[in-house]
Amino acid sequence: MPTEDLATRLRAAAPETTATVEPLPGTDGRLRFPPDQALAVFRACQGVLGYRHLSMVGGIDWVDHREVFYLVWSDETRRYLMLSSDLPLPAPHIESATAVWPSANYHERETWEMVGIGFDHHPDLRHLLMPDGYQFNPLLRSFKLHEPEELEVKVRHV
Amino acid sequence: MSAAPSSVAPTAAPAPPDIPVIDAPSVPFVEIEALRAEQFIPAAKEALTSLLAEQAQGKLIRPVFNWAGRNSLFPLHWGLACCAIEFASMFSARHDAERFGVVPRSSPRQCDLMIVNGTVTWKVAHKLITLYEQMPEPKWVIAMGNCATGGGPFRTAYSVVPGVDKLVPVDVYIAGCPPRPEALLDGILTLEALIRERGE
Ligand code: SF4
Repeated sequence: MPTEDLATRLRAAAPETTATVEPLPGTDGRLRFPPDQALAVFRACQGVLGYRHLSMVGGIDWVDHREVFYLVWSDETRRYLMLSSDLPLPAPHIESATAVWPSANYHERETWEMVGIGFDHHPDLRHLLMPDGYQFNPLLRSFKLHEPEELEVKVRHV
Repeated sequence: MSAAPSSVAPTAAPAPPDIPVIDAPSVPFVEIEALRAEQFIPAAKEALTSLLAEQAQGKLIRPVFNWAGRNSLFPLHWGLACCAIEFASMFSARHDAERFGVVPRSSPRQCDLMIVNGTVTWKVAHKLITLYEQMPEPKWVIAMGNCATGGGPFRTAYSVVPGVDKLVPVDVYIAGCPPRPEALLDGILTLEALIRERGE
C-alpha cells in the first residue's frame, strides 16, 4: 500500500489523529504519532487498516527523549508497518497496546524493564528478564558496565 | 587423562583429621559413689552403650559412609549454559563418568553434588538456591567453568552473577571456557579426595 493511501485511510478511520506516514524500505511505511493519540492509532491500524498481528515492541534511548516503536504485520499487504512515537523525558510513558493487540503484553514488559518506558493500563507490568526488585534499566545509554560489586541485586529467598 | 587445572577451594572448611580417633570418649561422667545400688546397673549400661556407639561411629560407620558417599556422587541433572554440553559428554561412552559412580539424577532430593555448569543469571539465582537447599546433607558444589567461577566473559554484564560462590558454598572450582570433560572428571576426583580428607 502506498504511504499516501495509508495516511488517507488512517485519517478516514481516526480523524482526530495527526499521525504522519513516511516511507521505510521493505515495509508499508513508518507511522509517527504523538503519544496521546496512541490508542486511536492502534485501533485504526488493527481494525480498518488490517494490521492484525503485533510482531514486536521496542524502545530507543535518544538521550534527550525516548522512542517507542511497534512492528505490526498485515496479511493483506503481506508487509510490516512500523508505528513509532517520541516520548518526552522525564517519565516517558504511553498507553499500553495490550487492549488492541494482546501479544503486546510481554514485549511491553521487556521494553519497560530494559528502556524504562512506562505503559499505562498494562494488565501486568512486572519484570520479565530480570528478577523482581532489579533497580536498573540496562539498555539505557547512561547505564555503564559495572564492576560486579557495584551491581547490588537482592536475591529473593524463597 | 590429561592434567586438568582444578583447584581446591581456598575457603574450604579446615580439614579435620582423617578419621576421628576417640581418645577420651565424651560419655557422661558417672559419680559411682553417689549412686544407690539399684541405680548402678542402668547407669553403667547407658555409659557402655553410648561409649560403644561413639566408638563405632568414629571407627566404623563414618569411614564406611565416607567411602560409599565419595564413590557414588550423584550430581543434579541440569544445565545452565554451554558448559552443560561438556557436562553431558562426560557421561558419554568415551569419558564414561559412571565408572566413578557419578550418575546424574533429575531430582535434587536424590543428589549430593551440584555441578553448576554454566552462566548463572540473577533471574535463576534464587531457583539455584532453592535446588541447593532441597538436596540432602552432606552435599557439595562444583563450580564448572569460568562463568560459574567468576562470571566469565559476562562478568560485567547486568544480568550475570559474578561467581556462584556468591550464592552457595563451592568446594571445587574448574577453570576453562568450557572445561573439557576430562577436566570435569578431574574436578570430581579432586572432590573425592577432598571428601576423604575432610572425613565427611
Ligand atoms: S564458562 Fe564458557 S563454556 Fe562455560 S558456560 Fe561460561 S561461556 Fe559457556
